[in-house]
Amino acid sequence: MAARPGTSASPKDYEVKAAQPGEPVYGCEHLQRLFNQDQNTTNTSIEHYKSILGTLFDKSPVIAQTPKPLEGPSFTTLTSTYLCLQCPSILTEEDRTKHGNKKSHRFYVDSRSATVYCQMCDDMVYDPTFEDLRLKKLATKSFATSRKRKQDELFSPDPVKDSPSYITQNTTLTSCKANGLRGIYNAGATCYQNVVLQSFLHNPILRNYYLSDGHSCDVPHCLSCAMDDMFQDFYVAENTNGYTAANILSGFWISDKKAFENLVTTKEQDAHEFFQFLAEELHERNGDGKRPEIGSEHSCDCIIHQTYYGKLQSTTTCQNCQGVTHQVQSFLDLSLPLENLVQKKGKKDAPSVTPTRSSITLQECLNEEYIKQDKCEYRCNNCSSMQQARRQTLIKSLPNVLSIQLKRFEYKQGRHERAAKIETPVQFPLQLNMLPYTTRNKVIDPKDRYETARACTYDLFSVVVHVGEIDTGHYVTYCRVGDQWFAFNDHKVEVAQKSEVLNAKAYLLFYIARYLS
Amino acid sequence: MPLEIDDTGKAGIVIAPPGADLLELFSHIVLDDILYTLVHDLVIDVHRKEKKARASTAAIKVEKLAANSIDSSMPDQKPDVDIETDAAIYKKGKVMLKGNPLKTTKEIFCPRCNLPKLLYPTEGKGAKKPDPSIIYCKRHPYIEKPGFDIYGQTWIAPGPGRGKKKKDVEKNKNGDDSPVPGAEVSAKDRPPNVLGFPSATCPKCKRCILVSRLNNHMGSCIGNGGRNASRAATQKINSNAGSQNGENTPPGSQKGTPLPGSRAGSPRKRDGDEYDEDAAEESDPIIPKKKKLKANALNKKVILKTKSPATMAKKDKTKGSSHLSVEHKAGDGDEKPPKTTAILPPKKINAKGPSPAKKIKIGKPPVPSPGGKKAGKKDRDLERESSGTLSSPPR
Repeated sequence: MAARPGTSASPKDYEVKAAQPGEPVYGCEHLQRLFNQDQNTTNTSIEHYKSILGTLFDKSPVIAQTPKPLEGPSFTTLTSTYLCLQCPSILTEEDRTKHGNKKSHRFYVDSRSATVYCQMCDDMVYDPTFEDLRLKKLATKSFATSRKRKQDELFSPDPVKDSPSYITQNTTLTSCKANGLRGIYNAGATCYQNVVLQSFLHNPILRNYYLSDGHSCDVPHCLSCAMDDMFQDFYVAENTNGYTAANILSGFWISDKKAFENLVTTKEQDAHEFFQFLAEELHERNGDGKRPEIGSEHSCDCIIHQTYYGKLQSTTTCQNCQGVTHQVQSFLDLSLPLENLVQKKGKKDAPSVTPTRSSITLQECLNEEYIKQDKCEYRCNNCSSMQQARRQTLIKSLPNVLSIQLKRFEYKQGRHERAAKIETPVQFPLQLNMLPYTTRNKVIDPKDRYETARACTYDLFSVVVHVGEIDTGHYVTYCRVGDQWFAFNDHKVEVAQKSEVLNAKAYLLFYIARYLS
Repeated sequence: MPLEIDDTGKAGIVIAPPGADLLELFSHIVLDDILYTLVHDLVIDVHRKEKKARASTAAIKVEKLAANSIDSSMPDQKPDVDIETDAAIYKKGKVMLKGNPLKTTKEIFCPRCNLPKLLYPTEGKGAKKPDPSIIYCKRHPYIEKPGFDIYGQTWIAPGPGRGKKKKDVEKNKNGDDSPVPGAEVSAKDRPPNVLGFPSATCPKCKRCILVSRLNNHMGSCIGNGGRNASRAATQKINSNAGSQNGENTPPGSQKGTPLPGSRAGSPRKRDGDEYDEDAAEESDPIIPKKKKLKANALNKKVILKTKSPATMAKKDKTKGSSHLSVEHKAGDGDEKPPKTTAILPPKKINAKGPSPAKKIKIGKPPVPSPGGKKAGKKDRDLERESSGTLSSPPR
């Protein structure tokens, strides 16, 4: 058997993943043989797999996509190549067998998915040890165990209470049926709350926080306690009927926060406002209790700040003295105006036949806000006078969950005061690279570009859609659980196709970072 | 580099026409390769999920055999036996695969509950009849059926007083305005996967309110439109709570009274549903007017007291019965007959729940009704819109 903890000679020795119930120890009989040869083979195999993962995910794809053929010159291909696990060769699918027969190397790594191929099985094999490394690589920058784990180890675990047998004796396993997929009943024009609550419920960070007993207090009508109850009900109870969010609603009505004064009506409301309200309220219940000042650089250790808040930096350059000033602000979400862009597009597309088909992309909106500079008047300290200046806003630190509001509801001032809804479709991706909109983009070492871009990658997990007119309508939301999308329409939950989600006229978008910081 | 270019990429689907120039040829090859990689990624993804699930099933099966082969008094100890199946070997507490699990293992077991997984939905798209002799994992494939949700549930159509706006009702004026339309009366005849709208308790007045009216009710009961009113409401609730405590009410019985500490004993949300059932159980479905209601409310308190020591147990029971019922109706037809009879009573009661609430509503004139919504709508909306644009975050 491979070395057990404590018996290995040097701390650098690698071990295969310890046996878990319901999981074979090895991916196949042949890998079992490989890992059981000797410690040295195990070490080199795992070490080499890790370096292959580094090549595949952190370096230019050209490296791994350029196999060295056994005959003829090398070339770069778009399709998968195979990296030998036992030597540094990169092979095409055709050369894989020849290489194997010649060198007796039997394991290869697929360049697109980092999956291990076993030549003797003639199949992909999913070895727990390798899969753990692969998933860790996908979710973090390095293989280092996360900081939280280290902290846990510092508080030396109670040998009795943390033993698996103690846990199994004193806990009951949650039913497989409790999967967090439930609707929320509309309590009378409260769909704007339901959609935001669903986006909170399917936010893995908040879910883990509340399910791991993150919040406890005894303040009456605490909204965070109401959230806690809701998470318990969604993820622990076997109920598939809709949820009645009575406590959230009453907490909402009872709250005497200022934000409420314009929200407390029984009329249809703006989901984005409710999102902001809920975030602030939960911050106050969980955080340092300080009310975040609008526009300030407020940071706090509370779950809401750790989840949703990022920082923006605006750089103002005086056109007279070229002096530069920076200002940093925290943000809960990015609000992207659509109107200007829609008008611009409209003009461009005006001669074209189908003006209704014109759509804009999320990236265009982001470009407009965070890459373009705008002119402004500003009081320069150097020149001590009002000067023309150029201003650019970039994201200084990205949040774990990026919330984007597409400003579909515009209030036009002037003679014809009116509010209008912009119905233009905005195309948004399932995967969003935020690197171009960050301050890091300018100073990045080209060598680290792939790695940094990967660190700025976000995955879409929730879309809030408003259907209908500006003054009356309905909110629905799409949320992703694993790879499956679901449509939540008040109490009703249905399976949704990706195409349905991507074609929705989004109002709020929630993206989660692939790497959690 | 010697140019030996095939006329296509790896997939061989996108083929350049004969006589195409080099650029055209290349773009065809690139497109073909991209198509290939897309399929490649999808296939690997599905393959990974399936093969891992089968490997895990092989492990679960051999572990079960190992566990059964020894004395079950030590459930946490890894049995020290060697067991071999067609798919896996169990040795010294470790499981090793034998052969390719895709070939050796046909079914999939849930890694959490170790029960076989139902692989097809029971209704709708792609449905297959489950084997009635097998106890499946409770997580079923999601149902895709128009008009039903992922669990095969559907809801009674909202009539007047059950969340439907007046203007909607006016469209079909055929005596539908009677307070108790068919759906409610025939609750017992209703298929078990057809759900009614539940009720919840208002934390201030302790009344049982149909969920679709909850916001309206709380607006007038707690909110009263203003901030001071809500403060007053909070105070009032707290003082009420004080007096209740004075009456020696056991903490667990403060159901529906969200107070400091009450949360631990009774998750508030559940209270709503239970309350509804209790109310319906205890009270005649036809409560004349407010006065009767108050007596009723008192009644409820007493009942709650008696059951309070067993709050947790009761809660579990309710959950176990009423909610399970939904699933079984939707799913396995096998267990249907006994379950139905066992579960229908609470269902019936539940459906009756809304009717007292409605009576209350009728007795109480100035509740803002959906009809009243129209008035002042315009300025409200303007208000909302303006605040919407103004409240955009700082940049």
